[in-house]
Amino acid sequence: MKQEEYFTQLVREHKSTIYTVCYMFSKDEEEVNDLFQETLINMWKGIDSFREESKISTWIYRVALNTCLLQERKKKKEMKKMPLTMDVNFFQDNDANSTQVRMLHQRIGRLGLVDRALVMMWLEGMSYDEIGAVMGISAQNVGVKLFRIKEQLKKNA
Amino acid sequence: MEKMEFEEMRNQFAILKKQLDKQEIISNRLLRETMKAKRSSINSTERMCYVFVAIALLLTPLNFYTHAWGLAFSIVTCLMMLFCAAATYYIHKPVDDLNFLTDDFATVARVMAKFKKQYNQWLYYWTPILLIPWLGWACYDFGWKHAPEGVNPLWMCFPLLIGAVIGGSIGLYYHFKAVNAAQDILDEIQE
Repeated sequence: MKQEEYFTQLVREHKSTIYTVCYMFSKDEEEVNDLFQETLINMWKGIDSFREESKISTWIYRVALNTCLLQERKKKKEMKKMPLTMDVNFFQDNDANSTQVRMLHQRIGRLGLVDRALVMMWLEGMSYDEIGAVMGISAQNVGVKLFRIKEQLKKNA
Repeated sequence: MEKMEFEEMRNQFAILKKQLDKQEIISNRLLRETMKAKRSSINSTERMCYVFVAIALLLTPLNFYTHAWGLAFSIVTCLMMLFCAAATYYIHKPVDDLNFLTDDFATVARVMAKFKKQYNQWLYYWTPILLIPWLGWACYDFGWKHAPEGVNPLWMCFPLLIGAVIGGSIGLYYHFKAVNAAQDILDEIQE
């Protein structure tokens, strides 16, 4: 399969994961768009470095999180700004679903950046080993951190 | 209560996923634009540093042939520049080898902390150790040896000192830019 076709298929399959990460690290729709596009560029640039031995979902999470956490957002505008093709705006819509999603965004948004990443992966249903692989910490450490985060969320509730 | 709280978060996350599955999100145009981006990135600042060293290495023998500098000073200058280029390469290599897209946070944090420490050591220890004696020798070679009768050698050194100030300022700018970038990344990770 050609690299372009593989990339297109990959992005289409994991678009909701990428969007979720970008959404949880953004303040508004515009920022989601920027981060989403930057993540796509980084995935495209780094697709050769993806090693088949790791799970593709883990790699995508790592790229998306690294983009959200580490990129100098104001620089590197290599592409035209283009809106995402969506008919829902989780930041503004007032239907029941969007309100629920916004509540989740607010809860997670109270956490620090790294804790936010951990909770998202936990909600995604990733194993402690997979989360540890993304974060560079042991599975045991992931468990300890998640326990502390849950305590913090409980206090914030 | 606690369980309910997290159950609710899981439900909200499921709603988000379900909503997103209904959305197209990515257009063909967006994908086309993405794939226009170059796949390799080059550390232009570091490359520029090597280009400057190469130019300086070519100019130093010229200074010797025009009798502006002595042989010993020219050789030491060349060696010093090669040493600086090697040190720059050594300090930058772990960061260049780092893959921000595939390496985990712990690796990135470790490499950036080491880079920051080495780069600061380079500025505060190695730069004065190398630069102050070199500047003194340069003033002596250029001013005191070549000053025409009746001309104060200090005036001969004036352009050299201006050059040192400009060069030093550019060097400091790039130094703090690199160190601050490393610090920003460390702050983000440690937050």
